[in-house]
Amino acid sequence: MKVESALFGVIGSFFAMMCLIYGFWSYWDEPVGTVGFALGAALCFMISFFCWWTGRKTDLRPDDNPEGEIDEIEGDYGFFSPYSWWPLYLGGAAALMFIGLAVGWWLVILAVPLVALASVGWVFEYFRGDDAI
Amino acid sequence: MTAVGTIVWLASELMFFAGLFAMYFTIRSVAGDLWTSRTSHLEVGYAFGNTLILVISSIWCQLGVFKAEAGIASRTGKFYELAKWGMREWYVLAYLFGATFVSGQILEYSNMFGDGISLNSDAYGSMFYLTTGFHALHVTGGLIAFLMIIGRTFTSKKFTHHQATGAIVVSYYWHFVDVVWIALFATIYLLQ
Repeated sequence: MKVESALFGVIGSFFAMMCLIYGFWSYWDEPVGTVGFALGAALCFMISFFCWWTGRKTDLRPDDNPEGEIDEIEGDYGFFSPYSWWPLYLGGAAALMFIGLAVGWWLVILAVPLVALASVGWVFEYFRGDDAI
Repeated sequence: MTAVGTIVWLASELMFFAGLFAMYFTIRSVAGDLWTSRTSHLEVGYAFGNTLILVISSIWCQLGVFKAEAGIASRTGKFYELAKWGMREWYVLAYLFGATFVSGQILEYSNMFGDGISLNSDAYGSMFYLTTGFHALHVTGGLIAFLMIIGRTFTSKKFTHHQATGAIVVSYYWHFVDVVWIALFATIYLLQ
């Protein structure tokens, strides 16, 4: 994870420097760009720090080794859902809710239980029935 | 994998709040006297207490994470034996503190509304309700996530790695929302 951490660190430092230059040139009088640059730097440093922090706890990955072979990385990458219909329900319910924001609040009230149902369905999908893990 | 994805998403959330902060500062810099007359309606002491509640809720959440990392889903001793509490108990406590924060926020809104400051009254009202409102929506989303994480601990006898990851990821979100509130509090109530 060292390369990822350094990459985001460099981009973050660039934004931090730009924030100082921008602020100095605008006499610290123009808040939008200054805040944007500062939080843009924070965005990069956040990812950089997390990559460094995770990399410290895990062993060196085969992709970090210049002499690494492709077959060293075989095995499980993680857990991936084979299929799920819940995102479709959730998307539909959320779309209905946001239409409600434009059309009228009564539609939002009708859509909220559907959103709740779909999110509960998605979250609990792998804890019941045939697909339980 | 889930944790890295969550951090990248939270980093993009940071840019969302960057937009809100930029809006606040821009409108403040052009609004002139409006800010001095409107910020006098803020109750800084009350908001500070509310902030404290949210920060403490983050501490309870982190204690729950330590238990989740140790694979302890629920308490192993009596209810009053705090050291033997599991993830579930600490998360319920964090939930209660978070819910108190949102309720306190609603009370603050009703006070501001009573003083004639609303979303469409003037530029200050718009900025006040937009920034704190979007934050309150995030807290509410976090509360719902807490409920789901707590609910999942009841579904299986064994506390799985999958469940622990979910709990840790929700804690990342909760701490993020907490830090954003501290920045918002400093901007709206202290800096004014």
